[in-house]
Amino acid sequence: MVKRGFTILELLISIALVSVVLLLLLRVMMSLEIINHDTSYASDDEIARTEIIRNVESDFLEYHLNGLEIVKGSDRTTLLFMMDEEKRLVIKNDSITYDDEVYTLKSSWASYSLCVNYEYFDLENDYYLVKIVIPVLIDGKNNTRRDDLELTFLGLKNELTSFDNNYAC
Amino acid sequence: MKRGFALLETIVVITFVTVSLLLLYSTFTSMVDNSKKNALYDDATNIYKIYYLKEYLELNGLAFYMNGEDIRKLSCDDFSFASCTQIMDTFSLENLYLVKYGLRDYNQDNYTSSFNNYLKSLANSDDYDYRLVGEFTYEGEYHYASIGVIK
Repeated sequence: MVKRGFTILELLISIALVSVVLLLLLRVMMSLEIINHDTSYASDDEIARTEIIRNVESDFLEYHLNGLEIVKGSDRTTLLFMMDEEKRLVIKNDSITYDDEVYTLKSSWASYSLCVNYEYFDLENDYYLVKIVIPVLIDGKNNTRRDDLELTFLGLKNELTSFDNNYAC
Repeated sequence: MKRGFALLETIVVITFVTVSLLLLYSTFTSMVDNSKKNALYDDATNIYKIYYLKEYLELNGLAFYMNGEDIRKLSCDDFSFASCTQIMDTFSLENLYLVKYGLRDYNQDNYTSSFNNYLKSLANSDDYDYRLVGEFTYEGEYHYASIGVIK
């Protein structure tokens, strides 16, 4: 008798091998998808985030952050940094403006929350600690803190230092 | 007349395809690992936190712990200021280490694999005596940042 095609055993072995490889690939693809969408935003926005943090923190260090005023409007929140040179950071849902530089979000699924978190603590020896967090929303939710813009300052009090202890959005 | 493939032929071809796909898989996996590392290491926010902390600890006796030990895990008990815990919590800092600059050979079993991987990833091209390494936790993930310290 002439043998034609595959036997059932051959087919089963082939299918099993291919399935194992496909499952492995599927797992990798799923992890890539999660990294790409759920927990992060576009790399351009990542770069802009780093740039904003670097510019603001450099000014904190250079001009010394003495106080902070937060003004919340309907479409924007303005942070007024009282330093030797006064600077303002304006947050809109799709952009942040600092020192006349506008950083617009490239990711359509990401937005800035207008509800800023702010904490102030008095430390020993006249030092103080300030933490300001601008939450980044992915699909309207702040699921991950990784993308948030977190600004901190730890400094020595002087005669100009004046911060509110409490702030509620 | 023989038609179709023999089992041996089929297995040889599938083995070849499998090896190729596995190579692809390992490449993808290392790419994913690298992108994760980029997201977890030396974030701008964490670098500034470590900078402020270093400045503050230097005023509170950090130099005392730069005594030749390869890696020193620092805790708030090592310092005499009461707000240490407050700062650690505000900064989401889980652990703080003082590591000899350029350290390569040490007993890795005493530390977590994520900490060991971070130390491995560091370049050691500058002239510092020690490195202050912060281990931050965000949503159960360990993030790292460090800054050089001169004795």
